Amino acid sequence: MSRGAQPLQAGPIELPDGPPPRREVVSTARDVVAQISDGQAVAIGGFVTANHPMPLVRELIRQGKKNLTIIGSATGGLEIDLLLGAGVVGKLIAPYCGAELYAPLGNCFRTMVEKEQVELWESSEYILYAGLQAKAMGQEFMAWRGGIGTSIVDLNPDLKVFTSPLGDGKEYVAVPAISPDWAFLHVGWADSYGNGQHPGARFGDRIMARAADRVALTVERLVSNAHIRRNPIMTSVPYADAVVVAPYGSHPYASHAFYAEDGEHIEAYVRATAGFRKGDRSGLDAYLDKYVFGPESHDDYLDLVGGRTLRALEAEYEHLTLGRHSVDVFGSDG
Amino acid sequence: MTATLDVAAGQQPDSPPASWKETMAVFLARQIRDTDRICSGAHTEISFAATMLAQKMHAPNLKLQLGGGAFLCNVVGVEVDELPKTSVDYRIMGWAEAYFEHHDTFNHYGPPGGRDYYEATDKWRSTNKYFFADKFFVGGIQVDRHGNTNLIGAGEKGKFSFRGPGSVGINDVTTVRDAFVFMTAHDKQRFVDQADYVSMPGPKTYREKDLAGNGPQFIVSPRCVFDFSGPDQTAALAGIFPGHSEEEVAENTGWEIVRSPHFVELEPPSAAELHILRTAIDRKGVLRK
Repeated sequence: MSRGAQPLQAGPIELPDGPPPRREVVSTARDVVAQISDGQAVAIGGFVTANHPMPLVRELIRQGKKNLTIIGSATGGLEIDLLLGAGVVGKLIAPYCGAELYAPLGNCFRTMVEKEQVELWESSEYILYAGLQAKAMGQEFMAWRGGIGTSIVDLNPDLKVFTSPLGDGKEYVAVPAISPDWAFLHVGWADSYGNGQHPGARFGDRIMARAADRVALTVERLVSNAHIRRNPIMTSVPYADAVVVAPYGSHPYASHAFYAEDGEHIEAYVRATAGFRKGDRSGLDAYLDKYVFGPESHDDYLDLVGGRTLRALEAEYEHLTLGRHSVDVFGSDG
Repeated sequence: MTATLDVAAGQQPDSPPASWKETMAVFLARQIRDTDRICSGAHTEISFAATMLAQKMHAPNLKLQLGGGAFLCNVVGVEVDELPKTSVDYRIMGWAEAYFEHHDTFNHYGPPGGRDYYEATDKWRSTNKYFFADKFFVGGIQVDRHGNTNLIGAGEKGKFSFRGPGSVGINDVTTVRDAFVFMTAHDKQRFVDQADYVSMPGPKTYREKDLAGNGPQFIVSPRCVFDFSGPDQTAALAGIFPGHSEEEVAENTGWEIVRSPHFVELEPPSAAELHILRTAIDRKGVLRK
């Protein structure tokens, strides 16, 4: 027998107490983040101002993680900027970190890259995906032409240029596998066995889940297994390792099919971090004290934000989408 | 293969003895662990029945991908009316909790052994956690002593005397931890010294080429089971199904039989195993035809 092969089971498997139960994976942000060691790599799902797993993001800061490799989405938002400012990031793999019209670039991101306070793995959208795809397939690298003729390959020594073996002389980039220890994703709902469903846009979440060693979901709702089975094709992240129940868990960012992003909160964050550019972190620290270290729990965070605000964001989502993309979450058997 | 096994001892009255297909399905089910991830591979009634039986009997946490349509199924507490006819049988969706596009099935979805990977770390130290599945069932029209499995055909290169179905995806699943080659007939035409073509290489090639998985770890036929503990990672007899003998295996195998140091006597399906198989999975008796 070679490595890993198991001995043959010659007879029936004896289980005097009957078969083991199905494993339930409902957990808490605290317990999930407690499993992460300093220096590990964590991918953060969502896109720009939507679907970020904020209870897990804030918990990384609360638990004072250090020197993490953070893998942002192809268009990372200010949740990455927050992690940078809070000092948990040693290396950043993200083609972008900002919030477009709210903030062309995150203040912490720009400052820390300029001051070399974080290692930036220079990349692009598909260079990120190629690295995740390579890992998901169990391969060492993926070949990709995007990046040839650019400065990206000069700035990132991990990207190797090679000539096609097919004989046409074309150059390719070998994008090495990107290996998240965990992917933190925010989805609409999941059952207690870890079957998660996106009722709205999925962005790059699925490839992050496939590349990651383990997956933790924050969910707006915990639903029954019967609810999941009504439409198994919608299950975008099966077998998550942890499900953290967190209604409004993407706030201040949007959660597709549920609520819009909190523009006022995002603008306040951008103002609070403006001083960071000039070496004054008092605004950032005040934000961290109020929204990250202050609330003892996610419910406390929601109390701080306020029910009025949250309901207004739901109404705004309904209005912006003309009700077309809001989902009947519970259905008949949820 | 027509041998009907005399395994009536312990069975309910009037229950017919296990057929060779039932015996193989029960054997394969016993090899499945609760923490495994399994891709059943292309459709066969034996591997489908084996995986569902394991999930219902002892492995409710088995991550089970049934069929090429890439449905992830859990049939614990789910009524299965009959074995699906093809790998895209619409009934599979009724047992499913999730779906992958077919191309996505070649991507990782969790480490081998599930939670066991993290809790019994010694056992998994040398394994690549990015395995596509823990176990995979590989069919063949030929298998040789090195476990090279052939679905392409017979005859010289480019001149097929017999054209098989092609390699399907068995060459692509290089990140499967343990592949089980299963042959539904066992004779010298199929169990050959050297396969005419190779669709999935045996374990020796897996190591020489440093492919991520282990490659084939067992060959299972209606008569017996081989592992690869023979000289130079060749097939060695690891078990014989009830009603068959080592002499009979030798007469029908195109290589010299050596016994594995791990040889065990294979027990017939128990009454409980047969009962669940016949009443909760294979109600129409497909495995007895």
